[in-house]
Amino acid sequence: MYFRLAIETMNLEDFENRVLPTKNKLYRFAFRLLGSSEEAKDVVQEAMIKVWNGRDLGEVQNMEAWCMRITKNISLDKLRSRQRKMTHSIDTNFEVRHEGLTPHENTEMHENMKRINQLMTQLPDKQRQVMHLRDIEGHSYNEICEMLELDMNQVKVNLFRARNAVREKLIKLNAYGL
Amino acid sequence: MDSKRIEQLLEKYWDAQTSLEEEEELHQYFKNNPVPEVWKETAELFRYFDHEKNKMITDLNFDQAVTKQLSQRQEKKVIEMKSWLQIARVAAGVLVVVAAVYLIGLEVRNSSTKEIADTETDPQLAFEETKKALLMISRSFNKAQQEASKINLLNEAEQKIKSKTSETEKDKKENI
Repeated sequence: MYFRLAIETMNLEDFENRVLPTKNKLYRFAFRLLGSSEEAKDVVQEAMIKVWNGRDLGEVQNMEAWCMRITKNISLDKLRSRQRKMTHSIDTNFEVRHEGLTPHENTEMHENMKRINQLMTQLPDKQRQVMHLRDIEGHSYNEICEMLELDMNQVKVNLFRARNAVREKLIKLNAYGL
Repeated sequence: MDSKRIEQLLEKYWDAQTSLEEEEELHQYFKNNPVPEVWKETAELFRYFDHEKNKMITDLNFDQAVTKQLSQRQEKKVIEMKSWLQIARVAAGVLVVVAAVYLIGLEVRNSSTKEIADTETDPQLAFEETKKALLMISRSFNKAQQEASKINLLNEAEQKIKSKTSETEKDKKENI
């Protein structure tokens, strides 16, 4: 019993070695979903504290995937409550999504990149999540399944649709220079 | 790199059939090469992916802020446990005292009520009982007094012996 506890319970050192280093990845993902840098940072912090509080991680093998899953859930909760607020008072809480870029990032980012950013934000949530984890973070299908709590088929279908949607829009951009 | 190969890889890519290694090849290709006009937008897409991967939390004290919260939570938990134990300890003490008072009270009531209960309702009987008790006490006193008078006898004897010895001593002195 004691031996099991010793293995499964996380101490501060484990946390610093295994959880904290995922912060940028978690931040990028939360940012992808929420479009706000401040909110994304809050989500990452909240997720890490949640991971810490549930320290008896018997069945957690891939810490990064576990952190990502918690980040996703918190981000989606945030989105839902934001939508609820918006339906309550459309005039005051109307937010244009993805204005969270700092001025520095704004000038640094090429016009075309901004357009591609727009393309990605227009994708449905799941497609956007899968595309982000595959094309930006470079995760395997198995990892994405674990992170998003989807089965293999759903991951592949969503990735396929996301890439096709992006491709079509890119072709249009190319043709009309929009 | 061979543009035929890139073309093939791209087809596979749009079909979501590429492996991670093949996708890495595409990333590398679009990062370094001057790209043909047809793939200008595609190159932008891959550059966008690479650019996005470099996004970071820029707050220098983010880590500190998080770990600080963790240690605070840990302390809180310990304190909570401690105060809980304290409360449990006090509660256990109170429980013991209450139980003791109740049990002792029960015992006292059981043992004392039996003898008194009968006489309380009838004044005549109560009077008789009281008389009996008082008589018993006076009898005991008398007995004690008789015993005590025996001690007096002893005292008297002692006195007699003392006076006799003093008289004989006086006689001896006179004879000398």
